[in-house]
Amino acid sequence: MSGRLRVVGTVLRKELVDAMRDRRTLLTVFITSVLMGPLVLLAVSALVASLEARAEERVVYIAGLEHAPSLRNFFARQTYVVKAAPADYEAQLRKSTFSHPVVVVPADFETALVQGDVPVVEVVADSANTRAQAGVPGVARLLHAFARERVALTLALRGVSARVLEPIQVEDRDLASTQTRSTRITGILPYFVLMAVLYGALNAALDATAGERERGSLEPLLMNPPARWTLVVGKWGAVAAVSMLIAVLSTLSFLPGQWLLRSDTLAAMFQYGPSEALRFLVVLLPFAAAMSALLMAVAIRCRSFKEAQASATIVVLAVSLMPLVSFFNLGGEAPWHLWVPALAQNTLMTRVLKGEGLELAQVLVPLLVCVAIGAASIAYVARMLRAAALK
Amino acid sequence: MIVVRGLAKTFAAPAVRRRGLAAWRSLGRRRGDANGDRIGNTSGVAAVRDVGFDAAAGAITGLLGPNGAGKTTTLRMLAGLIPPDAGTMTVDGIDVASRPREVLARMGVLSDARGLYPRLTARENVVYYGALQGMEPDAAHARADELARMFEMSELLDRRTEGFSQGERMKTALIRALVHDPANIILDEPTNGLDVLATRALRESLRWLRTPAGGAKCIVFSTHIMQEVERLCDSVVVVAHGRTVATGTVDELLAQAGETDFEEAFVALAFAGEKAEAGR
Repeated sequence: MSGRLRVVGTVLRKELVDAMRDRRTLLTVFITSVLMGPLVLLAVSALVASLEARAEERVVYIAGLEHAPSLRNFFARQTYVVKAAPADYEAQLRKSTFSHPVVVVPADFETALVQGDVPVVEVVADSANTRAQAGVPGVARLLHAFARERVALTLALRGVSARVLEPIQVEDRDLASTQTRSTRITGILPYFVLMAVLYGALNAALDATAGERERGSLEPLLMNPPARWTLVVGKWGAVAAVSMLIAVLSTLSFLPGQWLLRSDTLAAMFQYGPSEALRFLVVLLPFAAAMSALLMAVAIRCRSFKEAQASATIVVLAVSLMPLVSFFNLGGEAPWHLWVPALAQNTLMTRVLKGEGLELAQVLVPLLVCVAIGAASIAYVARMLRAAALK
Repeated sequence: MIVVRGLAKTFAAPAVRRRGLAAWRSLGRRRGDANGDRIGNTSGVAAVRDVGFDAAAGAITGLLGPNGAGKTTTLRMLAGLIPPDAGTMTVDGIDVASRPREVLARMGVLSDARGLYPRLTARENVVYYGALQGMEPDAAHARADELARMFEMSELLDRRTEGFSQGERMKTALIRALVHDPANIILDEPTNGLDVLATRALRESLRWLRTPAGGAKCIVFSTHIMQEVERLCDSVVVVAHGRTVATGTVDELLAQAGETDFEEAFVALAFAGEKAEAGR
């Protein structure tokens, strides 16, 4: 047995050296997979920060300001700064160069208001212009408040209580914790980590199988005495090690990413410390190992690296589509989610971000699935190795 | 010492062959053997029909035959890579079919495919195979140095094989195959792609390996080039259409064919085989 372990170690070491010397590929994987997550996090935080800044800004843009002194007076009393909208606000909103909704007041606003003719006030935004669209509810709320004040005054003049118009009072109560709320924004992170793990394994897995076939080095390799499964296990160990390294790096990359968050609110909501990183790894490492074996199994059938890349696209696509089930929240979180690779990992990591603990059973099911995939793939590669060497 | 008797192998026709099924058949050799002939007779390609030869230690045995004669398939079966449908092979008295790993430990094979790892140095390529053969690192390194001196590769030994010429690659692959100092050496068309100087160097090395000082190796190499056989081989096995059609020294074969030119003799012997084939 020690002889076999030695062979596994020999193959593993050689494949690792080989993979590590492929600097350009490693660098590409590193930049695209490891840095991508934090960069997205930063972009999201910049967006949230600008939304927050707007909320604090308290500015309302009005087109036809001169027609609505009463509205202007009301906004001023609510401590809002009222500004005239630029003349070409429609074009600017479409091009996203202007990021505030615009209140459009008709020319006969005041007369119509006095005569009870119900003037139409438009709140103009572009739903493709996210930042302008985000300001719409606030402006609409202000306008409704203005309308309510008018009603209250009119009724008071006639000696009627304003309560008549509001027989019930509606209030929202959000049960989500701060962390749960933040996963609406940070929920995309597990997806990036999953993809990083997959791309980390991809090149090494293809090189150790299809690449070896293409170079013509598989046949001489099999003319050495060691049993084929020891060669395969060694190769898999190296691929899994590279993939796990990428998993560790991408998981840790969110730690400094957190300090760079520009939005204070988001920084407060996004609880991601060493213990969360550790839980991410508990979920990710078995996945990295299983995907390494699966990619090798897909690639061993292919005669060239290029052909293998095409086949591996199916695996990559499947892994990238699975988490969408929970993105769209189809039917909520179901028990079967834990049995589906990628979806299970996504679900568990989202839970970690929500601040919910991981139970042993929840970790064991995906682990079991990963072990099954890994073992079946390794057995398959070992079986196919000789046929593959002969082309 | 390598002894091959009555070797035969039929491949399923490519169009019929399915990877999954082929893999299943290769799983259980006995099952494969039982079915092999039947499949072969209906839709297969008989690569090797009846090949047999003795290759003695301290001698160079040439497997001479035209392209597609079954040389590579024979050598692959000898290396345990393809299970034969029929026949026996022993290396130093060890049966290839039942103890393939012991055989591989006593054999250095330079196969048709001789790919190297381009990101590793020549030395790392060689030492990797040494380790797979169970050698200690120090011993493997020492052996790599020794063989590199022999093949005039010392300066290249610590360079990555990425930019190597055809000849340099062949030498590296040969050193890699010989790292564990095997008693039996099998070379499949070793001079393919080599220039005159490299070919001469290889011939010199093989002659030396045959001598007692070089270890009195049993060397089997396949080729379709007459001059190589004439200049190098102690014994020649002429293979055509998957059969051994003649064996002997160069002089014996000349006498057998009644020719003075070896190329003419080879054509006569191989052609006779073809005639016999047509008569069947």
